[in-house]
Amino acid sequence: MIIQYLLVLTLVVALGLTWRRVRQGALSGWAAALWSVLWIAAAVVILRPEMTSAIAGWLGVGRGVDAVIYVAIAGLYYLVFRIFLKLDKFERDLTVIVRRISLDEAKSNKNEPPTNGQA
Amino acid sequence: MRVVAVVPAYNEGARLGEVVGALLARVDRVVVVDDGSMDDTAARAQAAGATVLRHALNRGQGAALKTGTTFALADGADIVVHYDADGQHDPASLGALIAPIASGEADVVYGSRFLGIKAEGMPFTRQVVLFLARQFSALVLGIPRRITDPQSGLRAMSRAAAVSLDFRQDRMAHCSELLCLVARSRWRVKEIPVRVSYSPETLAKGQFRGGAWRIVWQLLLGSFQR
Repeated sequence: MIIQYLLVLTLVVALGLTWRRVRQGALSGWAAALWSVLWIAAAVVILRPEMTSAIAGWLGVGRGVDAVIYVAIAGLYYLVFRIFLKLDKFERDLTVIVRRISLDEAKSNKNEPPTNGQA
Repeated sequence: MRVVAVVPAYNEGARLGEVVGALLARVDRVVVVDDGSMDDTAARAQAAGATVLRHALNRGQGAALKTGTTFALADGADIVVHYDADGQHDPASLGALIAPIASGEADVVYGSRFLGIKAEGMPFTRQVVLFLARQFSALVLGIPRRITDPQSGLRAMSRAAAVSLDFRQDRMAHCSELLCLVARSRWRVKEIPVRVSYSPETLAKGQFRGGAWRIVWQLLLGSFQR
């Protein structure tokens, strides 16, 4: 079926982009390997849908489609949490900058102190 | 002994002058950290005789305390006091707060609302939330149950303790985080009874309007950060 080939083609592009990000130094090898497993697994599921039924049966979930949805939801939860962590990190970095500026200003206004480089 | 009080302030212009005045009579320097206020907080603090640091953006009470503490340590403070800007704390309790550190009896001293002196105007809902927060602190964070008021914002630290206690929560979760660090450290903790008076204004700015869950969430995120 043509939809299968279109989807697989998309995944091949994703695979290529993933490893290009590694060459650009934007992604670690481990993360790229994990993403590659995900892309390849998706391609396998698309080309051999009946496999999901086998996995679902093994997990005791019933239908293959259900198993895919459960795994996808768990994966999304994980990704959203990762994004929250990243935002939290940005907030902390922002605070470091605001603090640095604040202490530098105090110094130049002759409020005296600051500091030995730590903020 | 050089005592420096750190007062984080966000839109506290109306009440700040009085607080700074009362503190200056008792400590060597008052550092007000204006946390991105939109009112005249900085001007009022300066006029009252405080040293003013300014955050260009609002970063939260924990972030402001950390900025002020960093400044105080560079200023040569032997004791650092954390004090609320809204006037809910009683300046007369400062002596008792500092004394155990000055005498070498303790390294970190907390003012507690639950050691005999009844807080004025504390609503029932806040009492309930503080009770639940105490259970959470004991069960999840491992803060010893002998600490009667884990959410107290009035504290004093020796220089060495202030240097070592590296709290990083920017917002309200700094309170639990800091106490957690203290509980896991070798610093000797003491609580003293203090009088806290709540007014409609201080309650309106209170941290417990839905904030308790946010604190738990921030602590969870924070536990994943390096």
